[in-house]
Amino acid sequence: MKTRARFRRAVAGGAALVLSLGLAACGSGGSSSGDSDEFHVLVYGDATNRVEERIVATFNKTSEVKAVLDTVPGADYQQKLQTVINTPQAPDVFFNWGGGSISPFVEADLLLPLDDMIKNEPGLKSNFLPSVFETAQVDGKTYGVPMRGTQPVLLFHNKKVLADAGVEPPRTWDDLLAAVKTLKAEGVTPIALGGGDRWTTMMWFEYLYDRVAGPELFKSALAGDKEVWESADSRKALDMLKELIDAGAFGTNYDSVKFTDGGSPALLSSGKAAFELMGSWAYSTQQDADPDFAKNDLGYGAFPSVEGGKGDAANLVGNTNNFYSVRKSTEHADAIAEFLQLMYSDEFVESQLAIGNLPTTTNTAKFLDAADNPEYLKYQYDLVDKAPAFQLSWDQAYPPKNMTPIYVAVQQFFNGQLDADGFIKAMQALTTA
Amino acid sequence: MVSLTAPVAKDGHRPARTSGPAGPAARRRTGRPGIGWALPAVVFFALFAVVPLVLVAVLSFTTWSGLGSPEFAGFDNWVTLFHDPVMIKSLWLSVLLTVLGVVVQTPLSILLGVWAAGPQRNRAVLSAVFFVPLLLSATAVSVLWRALLDPNFGVPSQAAWLFGDGNLLGSRTGAISVLVLVSAWQFTPLHALIYQGATRAIPAVLYQAAEIDGAGRVRQFFHITLPQLRNSIITSVILMVVGGLTTFDTVLILTQGGPGTDTTISAYYMYQKAFKGFEFGAGAAIALLLVLVATAVSLVVVRVSGYDRMAGTKEGM
Repeated sequence: MKTRARFRRAVAGGAALVLSLGLAACGSGGSSSGDSDEFHVLVYGDATNRVEERIVATFNKTSEVKAVLDTVPGADYQQKLQTVINTPQAPDVFFNWGGGSISPFVEADLLLPLDDMIKNEPGLKSNFLPSVFETAQVDGKTYGVPMRGTQPVLLFHNKKVLADAGVEPPRTWDDLLAAVKTLKAEGVTPIALGGGDRWTTMMWFEYLYDRVAGPELFKSALAGDKEVWESADSRKALDMLKELIDAGAFGTNYDSVKFTDGGSPALLSSGKAAFELMGSWAYSTQQDADPDFAKNDLGYGAFPSVEGGKGDAANLVGNTNNFYSVRKSTEHADAIAEFLQLMYSDEFVESQLAIGNLPTTTNTAKFLDAADNPEYLKYQYDLVDKAPAFQLSWDQAYPPKNMTPIYVAVQQFFNGQLDADGFIKAMQALTTA
Repeated sequence: MVSLTAPVAKDGHRPARTSGPAGPAARRRTGRPGIGWALPAVVFFALFAVVPLVLVAVLSFTTWSGLGSPEFAGFDNWVTLFHDPVMIKSLWLSVLLTVLGVVVQTPLSILLGVWAAGPQRNRAVLSAVFFVPLLLSATAVSVLWRALLDPNFGVPSQAAWLFGDGNLLGSRTGAISVLVLVSAWQFTPLHALIYQGATRAIPAVLYQAAEIDGAGRVRQFFHITLPQLRNSIITSVILMVVGGLTTFDTVLILTQGGPGTDTTISAYYMYQKAFKGFEFGAGAAIALLLVLVATAVSLVVVRVSGYDRMAGTKEGM
């Protein structure tokens, strides 16, 4: 009996030991930012980290307070951030998408308004293109400084398919409708759409609402005015979109296709489709998948204008940029202000351009000639520079809990499960900050 | 055949085991082991199953975005849940997918398992090939099928007579069929494995006797194999039901709950609420509801089948 009791105790002790070790291991992850001579910078882990590492190294060369770069790989970024932001392990400076990705943090009073920093160092604002800077403003205060590349949404086309059908890249909505008709008669799917991703479908709404109603409609909706969804402009945008869908512009099986798995880019490059509305990253996607096509036959242009619409034809939608925001309780605001000033340094711009990102600083223009593919970069830079308004993607402009409802609504409007009234109701049901 | 000799040998030893010296020393040696042996498992289960379950239950009565501390919200989440058309639809979809899974996979896996239990020469090789899907991760399987079913470049583009425009994942019936098919492809091997083992355990004397009585193979299958597999069928169905109700990865990768909400099953809806929308309270409520439903269903299956009252399949022999 005695040996058994001893054994039992040994097992219990062993189990407790193993478990406590496991717990300790969990607890030690992520060093705290309590050290007085360093601050932590959290970024989305991907290829751009090379640039961030370089900038941090440059900063640490001269600064007494050192920056420490932490990366969170890939898709889980927002989740990890949400988990860590209100703990002692929270980063001092962190990557985000502006808009809805930070508005819950602003509401929880976790972020430092950067307006004082900007007052001391006006370059933190004046060195960036204004249309981009707005994205990280919440309730009139600035909470972020641009820190990567801009990605406006463009209307891409297959030059060869358009030439074969005798169609010019459309400048107006009527041009586009006419092109759809001609291309359909030629047996080509007029517009490639990776509807399975759903944010791809959403881009059509973003641009049509902008062109028909102007950027103000969405801004008021985001600010909490649900009436605007029922306005005549809103209905007109939906009617026009419906007309395009009913004309067979997207074919019938778009919801089984995705952009992210290479489905819709292949439609465009293989000539099975003529157009695709996509973020500027589509260019590098095509370069990877089909370099010859990207070089010779991939055309691009702005979204068509709408006659009688309130939105300027130069307005853009898309990912304006990524931003660095600062935690309110940081002890190193001064050092961080210095750090943020590197986000428009020549070194920053050159290394971003070297990996294919297009920064949105005013000094970017002078480096474009030396970059790969200067023509495409210059085109985008001009668009962003001249855009009277640059609307952040709807799914990122709204707080995160609205993302799925938006996706569901746009998909159901496209496949006919929702009519205009249903779509309007779905948008009115979204929660605003 | 192995199954012929094994039970006989065991039976031969049985008298020696049970009729030995029945002193207290012997009883202690053969009696139940001490509770200490169960401790690691109990601690593990408590820490990683019971505690989280309790926390989820608590969380389901709060609102929490992951920022700050959870705020008590009473029954708000539950009331919203039962008035949420997507939630109610998701429960039906979960049940539908589960039922379809059981209906499709059970006959397939019984036939395959019984076949694989036989003495045929090609059996080992073919079984090994057939069990490959079981070894692949659900994510890999889903990615693979997604590419295979691409309407423009996959199989449907070459077989328009069967698939029409190939809008499989973009239509309700198409998407549900694909999910059922992919789960069947992936999980039938697991259940076939269960049936293979169970079939091998059926004493060969039964078949020999049946043969003497003149029963053909089909009769043997329905009158010996199937009744003898009863317990395995129940085990397998419970696994399918619980697995079906908690299916997640195939939906995440193949359909993301679309088109619209047509494949938003409860487990995926929970994920959307909690980890996409940061409504952890609502997500916790869905999770708890799923636990309750899955437990209830398993209990019903066990009761209805009489599994809990059965000692073994060999009773009456």
